[in-house]
Amino acid sequence: MSPYFKYILGKLKWYVLIFFAALFLNFFLPRLIPGNPISALVAQMAGGGASSDVLNKLYNSYIHEFGLDHPWYVQFIDYVVKVFHGDLGTSFSLYPTKVNTILAQALPWTIALQVPSILLGWILGNILGALAAYKKGKFDGTLFPITLFVSSIPYFCFAIILLYLFGVILNILPIGGGYSMALTPTFSIVFLTDALKHYLLPFLSLLLVIIGGQAIGMREMSIYELNTDYVRYAKLLGVSDKKIIRYVFKNAMLPQITGLSISLGTMVGGALITEIVFSYPGIGTWLFNAIRQQDYPLIQGGTLVITISVLLANFLIDIVYGIVDPRIRASQLEE
Amino acid sequence: MKKLVAEVENLKAYYKVKGRILKAVDGVSLGLRDGEVLGIAGESGCGKSTLAMSLSGLFLPPLKYYGGKIKLKDIEISKMDRKLLRKNVLGKKISFIPQSAMNALNPTLKIRNFVIDVLKEHEPELSEEEIIDRVEERFDSLSLSKRVINSYPFELSGGMKQRVITVISTLMNPEILLADEPTSALDVSSQHQIIKLIKTLLERRIVKSVVFITHELPLLRHIADRIAIMYAGQIVERGTTSQIIFSPLHPYTKMLMSSIITPEKGMKGKELPVVSGSPPNLYEIVAGCRFAERCPYVTEECKINEIKFHKIGDREVRCLHPLTERNGINAAK
Repeated sequence: MSPYFKYILGKLKWYVLIFFAALFLNFFLPRLIPGNPISALVAQMAGGGASSDVLNKLYNSYIHEFGLDHPWYVQFIDYVVKVFHGDLGTSFSLYPTKVNTILAQALPWTIALQVPSILLGWILGNILGALAAYKKGKFDGTLFPITLFVSSIPYFCFAIILLYLFGVILNILPIGGGYSMALTPTFSIVFLTDALKHYLLPFLSLLLVIIGGQAIGMREMSIYELNTDYVRYAKLLGVSDKKIIRYVFKNAMLPQITGLSISLGTMVGGALITEIVFSYPGIGTWLFNAIRQQDYPLIQGGTLVITISVLLANFLIDIVYGIVDPRIRASQLEE
Repeated sequence: MKKLVAEVENLKAYYKVKGRILKAVDGVSLGLRDGEVLGIAGESGCGKSTLAMSLSGLFLPPLKYYGGKIKLKDIEISKMDRKLLRKNVLGKKISFIPQSAMNALNPTLKIRNFVIDVLKEHEPELSEEEIIDRVEERFDSLSLSKRVINSYPFELSGGMKQRVITVISTLMNPEILLADEPTSALDVSSQHQIIKLIKTLLERRIVKSVVFITHELPLLRHIADRIAIMYAGQIVERGTTSQIIFSPLHPYTKMLMSSIITPEKGMKGKELPVVSGSPPNLYEIVAGCRFAERCPYVTEECKINEIKFHKIGDREVRCLHPLTERNGINAAK
């Protein structure tokens, strides 16, 4: 077995373990919210005038329908079995809509918002950070305080500031939603420009915060690398700055890759909250509503999708890291 | 006497840190002759590593050039444009072996790729194959395993890394090799191998002359032809290796020699030789002899003016009361 394959396999073991732990938490955490979701649902369904007998009947039939009359371990096993069959259950609050259907609608919005902002933010942040370290002087003096400021604001706070500035005061961008209420999602020019307008603010608010955080880390790392002995030695052998910068950039990037895998969860979490601020029709907004209505299956489904995507992204980062850092491969050989 | 390959005149290189100036190399003059090894010895912090760095002509911040000349045959490099210096002089005419071989190689770059980067910089017309052929040949001729070329630095032992660096630094047959404590971090047998390697490089005229910087005086006995003793940013004594080691003139040289720990019988019970006091603060240099504070032979006279070099026979020493009689040297000679 190649050492690299062994490295991947060793990592995979952990990911499977984490997945099961997450599955467990996904199931139990929503159930710790005080209150009874079915009572609320029944009251909503029956309206004001129903007799208590009817209400009771309705209540019992829902309890049975959702399997809430079984002991918790039966419910849990049932949930796990269904998950492995790709069935996330039926939503309480939007009964009888399937959770799968809701998430399938929400997921593209979340992916479209998060993947570009995280990736682009990471890349731009690293380039800016490295440039600041290399150029020093005015460039660094201007960039560093700005990035420090931007990165220390919580995601939602920055989102609210942008929303207030561009949506309310300047009134040039819509304040919420994924597209205008009057339109239906199609691939027409009208719809796409409208969606893009709605996209701009949540995207920017995420992008800028991520750039800030990454640039600070990369700047530190690059300053450290620029002062290492190997840089000095290379200079003393007459190696050009261009090549030395390449060494420094690569070596400073390595911890940034780990940094990405560590902060990915926070970034995704922040992005979900940003969705709520802008009522963006992604998983974050759905999850928020589901929590308010104690919609167990929808909460479970939402958190499961998030867990799986964060784990997958982390796994990909691990694979890449093993390729780019020879020391990681070597340490696997020794084990 | 052999001809000079390099001449350093009154070189001054200071560190500028937070508005304060640290005079690490303060008026050093040296001559380096063809085929010789010049040893430079002194305590930690006396400026010897800074001197090694400065001799390359590349003053990396916070180190700054403040005056003096570094002449190689016909070119003066102390004020040379940095790009030109790196392209035409460094690696080719003057090369460097750093103190900490452990970290001197980029950890994520194979030796092979680093060597290609270095040689391409100076001889862009070479192909990668030609470069590797040349490097393999050089490794072979110096009895180093060719396999090393395809390794990452972390796959090599400390001693091996230092030898690899020595070979890389001399790939372009530089005239002068500046070795900044190349053996300090190594075990005894690795030290031995490095000394042997440097000697071989000299014998085969791959390098013409070596400046060997160390804090271990006894080591210089094995390799140096002449020794200069450095104290507080200045050279305080110059002479041949045996003169310096067996009949030091400067009280500081003597102190350095007597502080050497020898593996003789019955040493355990004896008190350790102590170098008393500590080197002066290089931020604020006092008038007069810089060693006065620690010197057992100090007189009031020593503390007035800056001490100049005194010629004693073929030797030179920066001291008003050199240890001539104690060494049986006739000062009047």
